[in-house]
Amino acid sequence: MKKLQKNWLEWAVFAVGLILVTSALGYLFYAGVSMGNEPPSIEVRLGTPEPRQSNFAVPVTVLNHGDETAASIRIEVVMQSNGAEPARGELDIPFLPRNATRDGWVTFDQDPRKAQLRARVLGYQKP
Amino acid sequence: MPTRKSANTKQRTLTDSLQEYGRGVAGGLMFSLPLLYTMEVWWTGIVAHPFRLVGYVLATFVLLIGYNRYAGLRRDSSMAEVAIDSVEEMGIGLLLAGLVLFLLGRVTAEMSSLEVAGVIVLEAMTVAIGVSIGTAQLGAGGKDDEGLGEGGELGTSFGGQIVMGFCGAVLFAANVAPTEEVIVIAIEVSWLRLIGLAILSLLVAFMVLHFSGFKGADQFVHADHPTIILLGTFTTYSIALIASALILWFFGRFDDVTLFTALAQTIVLGVPATLGASAGRLLLQ
Repeated sequence: MKKLQKNWLEWAVFAVGLILVTSALGYLFYAGVSMGNEPPSIEVRLGTPEPRQSNFAVPVTVLNHGDETAASIRIEVVMQSNGAEPARGELDIPFLPRNATRDGWVTFDQDPRKAQLRARVLGYQKP
Repeated sequence: MPTRKSANTKQRTLTDSLQEYGRGVAGGLMFSLPLLYTMEVWWTGIVAHPFRLVGYVLATFVLLIGYNRYAGLRRDSSMAEVAIDSVEEMGIGLLLAGLVLFLLGRVTAEMSSLEVAGVIVLEAMTVAIGVSIGTAQLGAGGKDDEGLGEGGELGTSFGGQIVMGFCGAVLFAANVAPTEEVIVIAIEVSWLRLIGLAILSLLVAFMVLHFSGFKGADQFVHADHPTIILLGTFTTYSIALIASALILWFFGRFDDVTLFTALAQTIVLGVPATLGASAGRLLLQ
């Protein structure tokens, strides 16, 4: 085999390329091996309500602990205060891949800080 | 840049290399920008199983080696050089895809690392093919650049033609395959129209390769007998269908569909793939 004709720049680009390609492959392989096939398992966390100009916003954090992606996730937050009609808030999330987190808000007219908040996932579909 | 005669004795200068990378970057962006701007591709990258992505990277690597072997800048290269070039192109592809996706706001801090890797790797493979083509094709042809005449011999070999056709088909089809439109058409269209699409593909292949006097057609496609013309046309269409099916399978379009829908999708995508395959056999030389 004849000697390779390369200057230092080309060797540098090759080195960077090799590192990038092997680390990407290595990482994907590792991720594939360590991944199970749990269906989506979605957790909803509610943050502290924040007063806004005209209403109250409740931060919602949605996590997917499963190994599969969930799509079109619909989340419902119900506010129950003493004696009053329960108020509902809804949130749609288009895509929630495995181990992913998405943030959003639901808003209420009344102050949710004095009430009880309950959140649940209404449904989701396969992507 | 060295040809087999003189330049093996001297190294390329830094300017030469930089120019070459510049062409590669330009080509990479030119051929893959539609994909970088397509929503379905981001989603596929996020949703795809890591093993499928690994398979995609390996398949692209084989394709790059094939392309660099038959059409690359330095046709006199040894296998080691071809492999090195392919790794370089993939590296540039990963960097470019990462940069553009970051600027487009498709790679953000709140994404999990697997999402980031998935999106970048998926997009980077088309960029890498673009880089490879850009490096080899967009050159102005300096004094001893790109020995077209000498290389023609290699390019016209049957294997070379297949590889080039496959590269062209993948490049064209990859831009269309991830969109929703393919599956929508495949579901809605009647079987008579599908046959029509297949005939259209065959006509396109025939027209580009044998009839319309495209640049390079005489040089690279030898056809003096009707049987050979027929064979060439059908070979091109077969390459296009295989490329379509592989890409569709990769983008998850064959998951949970009936055999007919899978076939219909392949034929629908076969039209752009045939254009690519025919063009690849002529233009990518």
